[in-house]
Amino acid sequence: MDNLTTLEQKLQLGLAIQPKVNMESLTTVGQRIPKRDAPPKVIGAAVYIQDMKVPGMLHGKILYSKHPHARILKLDTSKAEKLAGVRAVITAADMPASFRIGVMKDNPPLKTGKVLSMRDEIAAVAATSPEIAEEALSLIEVEYEVLPGIFDPLEAMKEGAMLIHEEAKSNVLKMPWKLVCGDVEAAKKESAFIVEDTFSTPWVTHCCLGTSGCIAQFDTKNNLTMYSNTQIPSLAQNDYVEALNTFGFKNRRVRIIQCTIGGGFGSKLDTYSYEYIAIMLAMKTRKPVKIIFTREEEFFATSPRQCTITKISQGCDNEGRLTFREMEMILDNGAYTSWGATTPSVMMLPISSLYKVPNVKYTAKCVYTNNTYSQAMRGYGNPQATFAIESSLDQLAEVAGIDPYDLRLKNANEPGEVTPQNFKITSCGMKECIDEVVKRLDWKGKHGKGTGRGVGMASLIHVGGGARVYKSDGCGTIIKMDDFGKVDVFTGASDIGQGSETIVAQIVAEVLGIPIDDVNVINNDTDICPWDVGVHASRTTFVAGNSALGAALKIKSQILEVAAKLLDEDPVWLDIKNGVVFSSKNNEKTTPLGKALRKVHYTLGGKMLMAEYFYDPPNANFDKDFKGNLSVSYAYGTHGVEVEVDRETGQVKILSYIAAHDVGKAINPLLLEGQIYGGGLQGIGYALGEKMIYEKGELKNGNFLDYKMPTAKDIPPVQAVIVETDEKDGPFGAKGIGEPGLVPTAPAIANAIYDAVGVRIKDLPITPEKVLKALKEKEKKGS
Amino acid sequence: MASLDGAKYIAGGTDVMVLIRHKKLKPKNLISIRNIKDLAYIDTANGLKFGAATTHSDIDGHDVIKRAYSALTDATSWLGSRQIRNVATVGGNICNAAPSADTACPLLVLDTMVSIVGPKGTREVALDDFFQGPGKTVLEPGELVRGFVIPAFGENTGSAYIKHTRRQAMDLPIIGIAARVTISVGKSTAVLRCKDFLCTMESTSEILQGFAEEELRCEDVRIAMGVVAPRPIRAKKAEAALKGKVISEKLLQEIGEIAASEASPRDSIRGEAWYRSEMIRVLVKRAILRSIDRIIRPDDTVYPKRLW
Amino acid sequence: MKKELTFTLNGEVIRAEVDPQWTLLYLLREVLELTGTKEGCGYGECGACTVIIDGQAVNSCLYPVMEAEGKTITTIEGLASKDGQLHPLQTAFINEGAVQCGFCTPGMIMSAKALLDTNDKPTEEEIKDAVAGNLCRCTGYVKIIDAIKTVAGGR
Repeated sequence: MDNLTTLEQKLQLGLAIQPKVNMESLTTVGQRIPKRDAPPKVIGAAVYIQDMKVPGMLHGKILYSKHPHARILKLDTSKAEKLAGVRAVITAADMPASFRIGVMKDNPPLKTGKVLSMRDEIAAVAATSPEIAEEALSLIEVEYEVLPGIFDPLEAMKEGAMLIHEEAKSNVLKMPWKLVCGDVEAAKKESAFIVEDTFSTPWVTHCCLGTSGCIAQFDTKNNLTMYSNTQIPSLAQNDYVEALNTFGFKNRRVRIIQCTIGGGFGSKLDTYSYEYIAIMLAMKTRKPVKIIFTREEEFFATSPRQCTITKISQGCDNEGRLTFREMEMILDNGAYTSWGATTPSVMMLPISSLYKVPNVKYTAKCVYTNNTYSQAMRGYGNPQATFAIESSLDQLAEVAGIDPYDLRLKNANEPGEVTPQNFKITSCGMKECIDEVVKRLDWKGKHGKGTGRGVGMASLIHVGGGARVYKSDGCGTIIKMDDFGKVDVFTGASDIGQGSETIVAQIVAEVLGIPIDDVNVINNDTDICPWDVGVHASRTTFVAGNSALGAALKIKSQILEVAAKLLDEDPVWLDIKNGVVFSSKNNEKTTPLGKALRKVHYTLGGKMLMAEYFYDPPNANFDKDFKGNLSVSYAYGTHGVEVEVDRETGQVKILSYIAAHDVGKAINPLLLEGQIYGGGLQGIGYALGEKMIYEKGELKNGNFLDYKMPTAKDIPPVQAVIVETDEKDGPFGAKGIGEPGLVPTAPAIANAIYDAVGVRIKDLPITPEKVLKALKEKEKKGS
Repeated sequence: MASLDGAKYIAGGTDVMVLIRHKKLKPKNLISIRNIKDLAYIDTANGLKFGAATTHSDIDGHDVIKRAYSALTDATSWLGSRQIRNVATVGGNICNAAPSADTACPLLVLDTMVSIVGPKGTREVALDDFFQGPGKTVLEPGELVRGFVIPAFGENTGSAYIKHTRRQAMDLPIIGIAARVTISVGKSTAVLRCKDFLCTMESTSEILQGFAEEELRCEDVRIAMGVVAPRPIRAKKAEAALKGKVISEKLLQEIGEIAASEASPRDSIRGEAWYRSEMIRVLVKRAILRSIDRIIRPDDTVYPKRLW
Repeated sequence: MKKELTFTLNGEVIRAEVDPQWTLLYLLREVLELTGTKEGCGYGECGACTVIIDGQAVNSCLYPVMEAEGKTITTIEGLASKDGQLHPLQTAFINEGAVQCGFCTPGMIMSAKALLDTNDKPTEEEIKDAVAGNLCRCTGYVKIIDAIKTVAGGR
C-alpha cells in the first residue's frame, strides 16, 4: 500500500504530477545509515563554539554574586577598567533598566539593587584574553548587605514570608496551571481502592560535554551575527531583535550561525543572560566578543531540570479500572523564571493521558525562592510527573491485589482513543511495549519473589507528532537541484547531535530516488535556512521530516515534468532510481538526472528547479482549559528493570534493562537505538545518583567528581526494543523518540526495588542511604 | 633545591594541577619528579619495595603485587580513570594525604614503611605515623618521599581493599576499608572444605558457619579505614579483638562494631556520618572475608560473583 | 618567560616556545591550533582532553607543558594516515553509531587506541575500564563499546 499518497494528500501539495515512492522496497529509509556529521567529528575537525575564532575577537567573563540574597551597596569597576588588555566593563547601568528576559520577563541580564541568587550576574568584562578578563573580575569591588534567604518553596509560600521579588505581590507566581477533567470527587466515592502519597524529584543538570558559549559580532550597520549553540534559532532571533531594539539598535538584522553543538538536551531552549551580556560587550567594544562557560559555570549558571514536590492520589474500581488521578505540585521556581515554570503544561500529558483515566485534577504552583531557576530538560516535566504516577500505580496495584502488569494492561491506551485532555490517539503501541518488557524480563517468573531481586516496569506517553506549544509548530524546507543530480536541502531544523540532518537526508534521498551521498543538508544559518520553531518536544523527525518530505515530493514533481518533456514520455510512467530517470513502460527512455537538469538549466528560457514546503502539523493549541490535541500523534514506551538490592549497603544493581519504544516507524534504527540508549542512561542517572546539592542557595557539587553522572562502567545490560506501529501521519510512518528514552526509567527502577526488598523510595535520587534507612525502618516495624 | 622558594614538587600532577587551577596553590615553580628513575622502581625480591613515583598503572599491571599484596592492587585499579592512573603516583596519593586517599588504607594494613630523603639525610617512618591530618604529613620542607617498603608475608596471608562508591569509576570513596588477614586452619581437611564453601552461593552466614566449624583462626590482622577520620586510620582495637580467635559470624559482627566505635565519620556532601558508620560494620566483615578468600583460592576469586 | 620545548607530535618533531605555566592542552589548542582535543572540564574529570603520551592515555588538561619534552604524543589529528585513510577506530565509530554530538569522541577514540595498542583482544570489562574516564552524555556508551569491540575483533 502506497501510504505516501495518503500523506501527500494530507500535506495538500496539490501537485499536477503525483510522484510515487515504492514503500515496499525502500532503499534508504529504514536503513542503519551512519550519521553524516560523524566523519568530521572522528577526525577532530568539527568546529564547536569552543573552537570558533573570529578575527579581532575579545573574551568575555562574568562576575557572579557571592550571596544568594543581598543588597548591592557598592559596585566599583574602576580598577578592572584600568587593567591592561581590558576593553570594556559593564554593569546593569549599561543596560536599559526595563530590559528583562525569560517567559515572565522578570530577569534582567545584569542585576542591580538586589541579588536574588548565587548565579546572579552583576558585572562583565571584555578583554584581549580569557586570563586577563578573569583577572579583571577579581579587581571589581562589590560591597553587599547580606539578607536572609528563602531556600524552601514551602517557606516561601507561607503567610508573611519575605517577598523575593519586591514588585511582585506574592512569591507564588501567577500561573494558570489547573487541569480538570470529569469529576474527581465523585470518582473517589466510586472507587474501590485509593492510594495517596507524596513524591519529589531534585534539580539535575544536562551535563553537556561542550559547555555553553557564543560569539556576538556587529557589522558596520549594527546588524548582529551570533555564533551560537541555540536549539531555537528562529525564536532566538526574535529575542535578540527585541534586545537590540531595547538597546537602541532599532530594526536591525540578526543572523544566527550555529556551530556544531556539544550537547543539547533542552539546555539551549531558552536564551540566557550571558548571550545578552556578550551582545552588550560587543556593542561597547565594537569588536566580536566570545563568552565560553567554564565547567563550574556550566553547573551553577545554567538552568537545570525543574524540581518537584508532588502529592498524588489514584483510584480504581474492583476490576482494576482506573477511576481518577489527582495531583498537586509545588515547583521551586528559583529567583527568576525560565521554562521550568511552564513544565506543568507538559506534565499534564501523562497526568491526563497515561493509561485510561476518566477523571483527572491537577494543579501546580510555582514559587519564587533564592535558589537557582530551571528551564527545559529532556522530557520537560514528563519524567517528574511519570515518576509519581507510575510509582503510585504500583502502590494501587498492591492495595487492589492486582499484578502491576495486569493493572497496566487493563488500562492501557489504545489507538482511536480520545483522552480526557482531548488528545486523539492515532497509532499506539503501548500494549506491545508492555508485553515486550514482560516477555524479555521474564516478569511472571521473577515478580513478587522478594528475595533481594525484583522486577519493575513503567510506561510513558509523550508527544510524537510535533507539539503546538507556541502558536506555530511549523518547519520549513527549501530544496534546490544543482546541475549534476545532487540536491541541496535547506531545513529549519537544527541538528543537536541526535542526527536530524541524517534523517532529513534519508527522506529526501528516498523520495527522489538518489544516493544519500548526493544529498547535502544545510541547517545552521538563519540567513539561509527557513523558519522552524525549534528542536524540542521530540518533534524534529516528525515535523522536519514531513516538511522535507513535502518539499522533496514537490521537486520530484518538477523533475518528472521536465524529464517527461525531454524523454517524450507520459510522466505517469516515470520514476527515479539511483539518480537515473527511467520509464517503466519503455526501457529505452532513460536519462541520468544530472543530464536532464543540465538540459533544463542551459537553455533559452530555462528553468531553475527549486521547491519549498512549510509543514505546520494539524495539531492544536490548548484552549484556556488546557484541552486540545497538542500533537498529531503520541509516542509510547515501557521500560522494565530487574534489580538486585544489597540489603547491607542499600546499593542497587541493575541486572537487566529493557526499553521498549513505539516509534511509528524506524527511519534509521541505528540512530534510534542511540536515542534510546542515551536517554535510558540519563534516566538511570536521574533515578539512582544525580542531584545538584545546594546548601543555602550555593551549589556544592558543581563538578564531574561530585555530580554523579554515569560512566561507561555504570551501564547495565540494556536491550533497546523498537516497536513499529506505522503512524500514517508521520514521514514514512515515523514518530518522535528524542525525549521518551528517559521518561519512565526512575519509576521502573523504584518499582523494581519495591518488588525486591519491599521498600519504596519516593524522593529521587534513590541513593544507598535512602534504601538502607528504609530497610532498617521496615525491619523495626516488622519486629 | 632548598633555595627554590615557593616551589612545589609535582609528579603525576593530578592533585597539584587541580589545586593550582582552583587557586588553592600558587607555587612560583614546579619541580618535576615524574621522570626520575630513582623514584620509579618496583622490587619484589624480598617483600615489596617501590618508588614514590611509581604510577598506579605500574602497580596495576604487576601480577606479583596483585597476588601477594592484593589490597594495593585493589586500590590502584579502582582509582579515578585510566588516564589518571597512567600519571598519578602512589607517592603523590600518599603525600596529598587526603582522608580518602585510596592507597593509604592498603599500605597501612601492609605495614608499610615510608623512605624519606631530604637535605638533612634519609629517614624511615611507619606509614601510620606519616599522616598528621587532612593534607598534612610529617614531611619537612625540602623533603621528598623516596619510596615504600613492605615486608614479605607468608602463604596464609591475604589482603583486600573495598572502596565504597556511588559510581563504578571516577569516584572518591564514601568510605574505604582495607584488611590483611593471616589465618591458620584447625583441621587438616579444612582448607579444602573452606574452598568448597567459597565456591557456592551460600549466604555469608552459612559460609562463616562453615569456617567456624573448620576452626579457621585469625592469627594476625590489620584493619584500616578511610574517610571516617581526619586521616586514614587503623582500627587497632578491632584488630586486637580479632587476633588469635576462631572466625565466626558473631565475632566479625563484634569486630565491625568495635571498628565503628574507633571511627569519627562526619556528614559531608559525599556521605552521611550514620551511613559511614553502618558501612564500617558491613565492609570490615566483607574485607576480611575477601582477604580469606584470596588466601584459600588465590587463583580464582572471580566466581561466583559476590557482593563481597 | 618562554622556554623551548621539543617533542614528537603526530609523527613530526616539533619545536615550540612555551610558557611553562601552560598545560599541554593549552599548547595544542591555542598555540598549535589542533582543536580536535577538547576541554570539557579542566580538572581531569571528563577525559575530553585525552591524548596519548608515550603509549599511555593522559588527560592533557592536567599535563604541564614542559613535561612533554622528549615525549611522543599523538592527538586525534594524528590518527588518520597521511593520505586521509581513517584509522579503524574512526571508521568503527562512524559505522556503529558511536558519535552523537561528538564532543567526547576524540578523547574516547584516543583512550580506545591506547588500549588496543597494548591489548588487541580486550574483554568487555577491559574496554569499559579503558574509557571509564571519558564521560559521554549523549550515547549511553553502548555503541561506543560496540565500536571498540568491532575493531578489537571480538564481539
